[in-house]
This record gives sequence, structure tokens and C-alpha cells, in this order.
Amino acid sequence: MAFDFKFPDVGEGIHEGRIVEWLVKEGDAVAVDEPFVKVETDKAVVDLPSPVAGVVLKLFFKAGDTIHVGDVIAAFGEKGEKPSASNAKAPQAVSPANQREAVTSTEPKPSAPAARPLATPHTRALARKLGVDLSAVAPTGHHGRITDDDVERSARGGVSAKPAPISAPPLSTAAPAPIITGDGEVDRVSVSHLRKVIAEAMALSKRTAAHVTHVDEADVTELMELYSKAKPAIEADGVKFSILPYFVKAAIAALKSHPLLNSSYDEKNEQLIIKKFYNIGIAVDTPEGLVVPVVKNADRKEMTEIAREVSDLAARARERKLGLEEIRGASFTITNIGPIGGLFATPIIHQPEMAILGLHTIKERPAVVGGQIAIRKIMYLSVSFDHRFVDGAEAARFMADLVRLVENPFLLMAKI
Amino acid sequence: MVVGSVAKGCQVVVVGAGPGGYLAAIRLAQLKKDVILVESSPSLGGVCLNEGCIPSKALIHAADLIENAKNAGTMGLSIKVESVDMEKLAAWKDAIVKKLTGGVKMLAASNGAEVIHGKAKFLSNRKLEVQGESGAQLIEFEQAVIATGSLPFFPPGMEPDGQHVIGAREALSLNEVPKRLVVIGGGYIGLELGTVYAKLGSDVDLIEFFPKLLSQHDPEVGEALTRRIKSLGVKLHLGSKATKIERGPTTRVTIEDNEGKESVLEADKVLISIGRLPATRELGLKEAGVQADAKGFIKVDSRMETSAPGIFAVGDVVGGPLLAHKAYREAKVAAEVIAKRPSAFDNVVIPAVIYTDPEIAWAGLSEAEAKQQGYEVVTGTFPFKASGRAMTLNAAEGFVKTVADAKTKRILGVHIVGAEASEMISEAALAIEMGAFLDDLAQTIHPHPTMSEGLLESVDAALGEAIHVINKAR
Repeated sequence: MAFDFKFPDVGEGIHEGRIVEWLVKEGDAVAVDEPFVKVETDKAVVDLPSPVAGVVLKLFFKAGDTIHVGDVIAAFGEKGEKPSASNAKAPQAVSPANQREAVTSTEPKPSAPAARPLATPHTRALARKLGVDLSAVAPTGHHGRITDDDVERSARGGVSAKPAPISAPPLSTAAPAPIITGDGEVDRVSVSHLRKVIAEAMALSKRTAAHVTHVDEADVTELMELYSKAKPAIEADGVKFSILPYFVKAAIAALKSHPLLNSSYDEKNEQLIIKKFYNIGIAVDTPEGLVVPVVKNADRKEMTEIAREVSDLAARARERKLGLEEIRGASFTITNIGPIGGLFATPIIHQPEMAILGLHTIKERPAVVGGQIAIRKIMYLSVSFDHRFVDGAEAARFMADLVRLVENPFLLMAKI
Repeated sequence: MVVGSVAKGCQVVVVGAGPGGYLAAIRLAQLKKDVILVESSPSLGGVCLNEGCIPSKALIHAADLIENAKNAGTMGLSIKVESVDMEKLAAWKDAIVKKLTGGVKMLAASNGAEVIHGKAKFLSNRKLEVQGESGAQLIEFEQAVIATGSLPFFPPGMEPDGQHVIGAREALSLNEVPKRLVVIGGGYIGLELGTVYAKLGSDVDLIEFFPKLLSQHDPEVGEALTRRIKSLGVKLHLGSKATKIERGPTTRVTIEDNEGKESVLEADKVLISIGRLPATRELGLKEAGVQADAKGFIKVDSRMETSAPGIFAVGDVVGGPLLAHKAYREAKVAAEVIAKRPSAFDNVVIPAVIYTDPEIAWAGLSEAEAKQQGYEVVTGTFPFKASGRAMTLNAAEGFVKTVADAKTKRILGVHIVGAEASEMISEAALAIEMGAFLDDLAQTIHPHPTMSEGLLESVDAALGEAIHVINKAR
């Protein structure tokens, strides 16, 4: 009996993916648990293992194809057996039966209904008109039906977006796209799945949260002295030690005093979820785009452990080898723009979090110390927060505490 | 290009005046675009109006009258159709076509779309040459819509000669009813025309490559049609293919079944209807920068834009189901996108109809397709033999089958076999497009007695609440 392998629900909220590479050909033998395909989902590339032993009867998609949860992607069975599924997607009704050559084509076809948002044609048209991406709208109707109200609320930037980006919808849903003329030489570059996910997540965050960025400066001369003493001693044990863990610890200490910044908004129940755990997302720049792996329970980890974990997560993020659980569940995110330069930036909040901390370049600048001008190591710190739930005063208090901690390492040490 | 001729300029050029092309042109003109519609044949309307949908429906209606007269004996009526004057029938059909194509011409003109007749070829993504009777004309455009449609596919050795071997176009204009007709290909066209000529009195052999008719549907659809087609006297050769055609006063068609057994059929006419290919040859797609797939179908996005920015394509030429109503919708989308309106082809279903006897129509997923897509499926079927209206129409064949998601009860597909299926399917298409659940339809009052009550009953059956049939134990 042929076994049809359906693209499984590989992680919470994942509806679609892209086939990166087939590891088997039709006719190959596979063992149980032998990986047979590489699939890119959300921010990770995963190998899917075969649940059965047998022969690959048919592969229903090509590398590069987008697949949805529930699609039959491959059939396994005995040698010589016919796959039971004739086609993984709805067959095309061109000519019900053609004598020799089935004249059918692939584009365009309605995408699998399982993955598309449930909305009437009128509501879909309204969403296009208002530039709202239906897959990012939280439905209030029966069995997940999206109503006109849901779309309008989303367009007003109201509290209607889902907590996290869960799929990569097309980018071109916005209203009148400018006509791109063919004048002059151009390259047309396909947008990767990861890029679509980032695009949607960023746009969603900007549409949803009322972004405000508060910036302050900190004199980290003493912290740097402490760090430069610690670094060689710790690295002698084989751990690459950076200054980032000090900021992780300082941020956690400040978050403990200002728990609102370590929260999320639960739109459905109209409640704030104040988190009593400190899972810190660390923004990592990879050749393919931004990935945010998470250091779980960072409040309970030693700084050396945090350093080791961040360097491991960052390395694997660049190789696209992170598991889904490693990029989910952050309660607060830190983005370190310092090494690249600049004065300061205004980062976008990583939904569904409430705030994001930006670390900027540490630079020697003249500063007044005890009535004298001195050369000090100064940096800017920014916190972007969602003004719907966090007021400017609270964010400023959070920042003041943070600055005090990084300027006075002896205070920070007392808080770890 | 004629020396000294001056290029004509326009905002949008539409190539091909079939359903996709003429609709795009009219809609663009309505949206205040300066439009030129280019058509290679003298008459507008494309295959649909001139040699497809419309003329075939005229013949089908005439053939049905003969069949109904024959069957009226049951009602105590003895009606005899004395003769079939094919020339008069053709004249009636041609008059309909003329009226409709004239109507399209009038609509194009009154909306302000200019029509140019001639063969179009893109010279670049901004220039098109039209080779007409009175020479060549150069058109410079800002945006374009390609709607050149499709052409019947004839394998080598089976090309039509108009005499012994014919395509659908010739089959709609025969001077007399062939005594023996062999139809190769059991798709829409083969099934519809095979049925027509069987009713008009031909001995029909129908050759189909797949072992079952309509094999892409749930089995009961093909079974219902097979029963009826056989009762009309059509000889079915399933799982068979034609390997050789010897033309002559009696044309001999050699067929081979899937066990390799050969046999020979004799025919006065052989109709080839095995599929269609996009009409993109010598259109200058390469010069325009428009990409097509391996079979020549043009690739488009959901806004119907091709790989060449500003050039759109709609209808058969972009593939998918080759249906006029799909082209209509795509053309509307393309025209609106060109007019900078937020439009997209995001339809959930493209309903389809086969005008056989009984008619077959569907919208959405079959039971097998829904299962393949991972749905847990619930179905409900209502046979027309339990319908009062079907009985009074002397047409108690067929059924309505509704396929729904067992979990949410959302309607995924509807399949109708029966009289007026073509008229009934739109309600199903609306329901699915609106994302209706079974109870949405179940709570809608359907007039009695009608065929459309069949849909209501099938929905009730899916809910396990049918009144006029016995509910399945569940």
C-alpha cells in the first residue's frame, strides 16, 4: 500500500514552506527516519525524515516550489507500486481526458484553500483597497471568517494583528502598485521565503504597534575596564567572551523593575501578559537576512554561558540550521548595531514583544567628569516601545535604570 | 512595415478579441484608457462565439429537441421529427453567432475601443506590428494585454483535411449528418459533439485514452455519464488510443487498447478533440520579454501581469482551465490593474460545465481532491430520481453531491449531474466563493418544485438531516 507523505505541521502556526532540496530521487530506497527532503519554513531549514521504509514512488513538487501543510509531497511504497495520489494539488480541468498529451498548465491556479484566509470576495477586495494583508488579520467571524470590520480595524493599525507572523503571504497585496517601467537595464531578483517573512513581520509590527524610540547615552568607561580584565581570563577557558552578556544582564535587571516592558498584549482577551521569564532575543545579521535566536531563561544563566550560547546561536543562524524552537518565545529583544557604526537607530519591535533595546557604537568622546573634561567611553542606548501600552515616562525610567547599571558595574554585579 | 507608414500610439493594446480580449478592451475603455483591440480574424468574439461555446450550444439544443421528442412517448405524445435540414440548422446557428459578434463590435465601438484587424507581432515591449489586408501597421503602446487564446492540438498524421478528418470548428458546420462518426478524445468537446451527433442519428464511436470517462472527478460522475452515453448508442472505447488514420471515402481508424489489442473502426468523418495549445507562436513573446512555460502558456502573477512589466495576459493563453468565464474574470482584473485599481485574481473556484446529456457541472473540490488536500470530508448526495421537478421534466437522471470540511462544515465542492446542471452550479460557486458553511445553504429557502432543491437536499444530507432521501448512518 503506497504511503502519501503530507507536509506536516512542523511548528506552531507554520502553514507553508518551500522545498529547498530533495535528498532522494524517484525509485530510491529509503529507511525509516532517513531524511528525504530539505524544507525551508519560517526562519529555519529542516530535514524531514521518512516515516516508513520503502521506495520513493513519486515526488510531487520541484525544488523551489511552495508547499502548504497537508499537501502530499511524496509517495512511498513497494517497488513497482503506483502512488495512490495522482497529483498532490487539485488537478487542472482543461480537457477531462486527452488522448495523448494532457494539455494543462500550472499557472495560475487557486492556492490550496486550507491555507487561504476565509473571507468573502467583498472583504478580499476591501483588504486589497486598504492594503491589508488578510493572512495577518485576526478573524472574529464564525470558524475564522474575516469580516469587513476585522479588515478595517487592521487598516487603522488597531489591535487586530495576530501575535506573530505565521506565514509568508505575497508582498504585492498593497493597493495600486507603481508601474515599473522597462527603461534601462535591470536585474529581477526573487525574494526569498525568509525575506518575505521578515517583510511581513516588520510591516505588521509597524502597522500594529505605536512605535516610539527613547535614546540616552551611557558612560561605559568602567564597564569596559572590567570587561577588558575579564575577557582574557575567561577566554583562557576556551569561551569567546563579548561585552553583550553584561547588557543582557543589565537589561534583565531593568526589566525586573519595569515588568511592563517584558510583556505582550493579548488582543483576544484584552489583557496584558506580564512575563515572569526572561527569554532574550538576539538579533543576528545573516547573509539571507535578519534572524532572531533566543537565549532562554537568560536571568538564570551565567554570563559566560550566555556568551557561549549567543555565539553558537549566531553561527547556526548564519548556516540556517536553527530549530524553530530556538527562534520562538522571546520576551524581549536586544539588537546590537554597535559593531557596524552609526550614532543611533530606531529599531522595530519584534512582535509580539513590547519593546526592543538597541545597543550602539562605544566611542571615546569628551565628557565632563567632576568639573573636568575627560576622554570617556560613551555609547548611545535606545529603547523602542509600544506606546499603546507603555508610556514615555515608564520607558524613560527603564532607560535611566539601565544607564545607571551599565555606568556603575558594581551596581550591576549586585543585581546578577 | 510599409515604408513611410506612421506608427499609431495608444495607452493599451489588446491582442485577440475573444472573451478575454474584448472584455479587457471594453473595460479599459470604460476606465478611460485609450485602447486598440487587435483581432486576426474578420469577426470578433474568438473561438467561443464563432466556433466554440455558442455554436455548439445551438446544435446541442437542436439535438435535445429531437431526443425529447423521441422520449415524449412516455407522456402520451407522439412527435416525429421528419428530417434534419443541416443547412437550415447551420443558418440558424450562424445567425446567432452573427448577432453576438456584431453585438461585441457595437459594444467595443460605443465604449470607444478602436478595432484593427490583422495578425499581431510584438517587436519589443513597447511596439507591436499588425499585418492586415491593407499592409502593416505599427502600434506603439504603453501597456498591453495578450489574449490570443488557444488552438486545437492535432498530432502528426491526424491533421484535419476538412473532408475525412475534422476538428471542432468543422464539426459545427457539417452539411449533413455523418452516418459513422469516430470521435478521438473524450474531453469537453468530444463528449458534447459525440452526444450531439448520436442524437442527430450518427453511429458514434468515442475513443478515450483513460480507462474511465471524466476520470478527474469522483467515480459516480463518470459512471452516470457513461450509462447515459451508452443508452444513446455511443460505442465507448475506453483505455484506448488511435494509432493510425487511413483517409478515404471510408476512413479507417486503427485503435489500440491498453492491453495492446488493435482494432479498426470505419468512419465517414473522424473528429479530433484531444486538447488545445496556447496560440503564442509568431507572436513575438521573446521580443516583448514575456516568458512562457514549456508548453507555451504565458506565466502571469495574480494581477495577470507577465514577466514583462506592463504586459498582461489573460484567458486560455495563460493556461489553467481553458474556459471563457475564467478569461472574463482575468480580463476584468487585468483591465482594473492597468487602471491602477487594487484588483487581483484571487478566486477560490472556477466553475465548469460540460453540456452532455445529462449536463455535468462542478465548482470546487471533488471528494478525492479534498481528502488529498488533507481535509476530513463529509459528503451529501441527492439523486434526481427523488426530485419531483426532475420527474416532471422527464429527466430524473443524475444527482447533486456536496463535499464539505467535516470539522468546520465549510462547503468545499459541489458536483451536479443532471438537467440544468449548468444553471444550478452558480449558486454553488457563490456559496464557496463567499466561504459558506453547510447551514448557510441549508437555511436558505429554495423554491419548490425546482431542480435547485437538489443542492439544498444534498447539503441537508451532508448534515445528516435530509428529508427526501434516507440519511446515511454515521
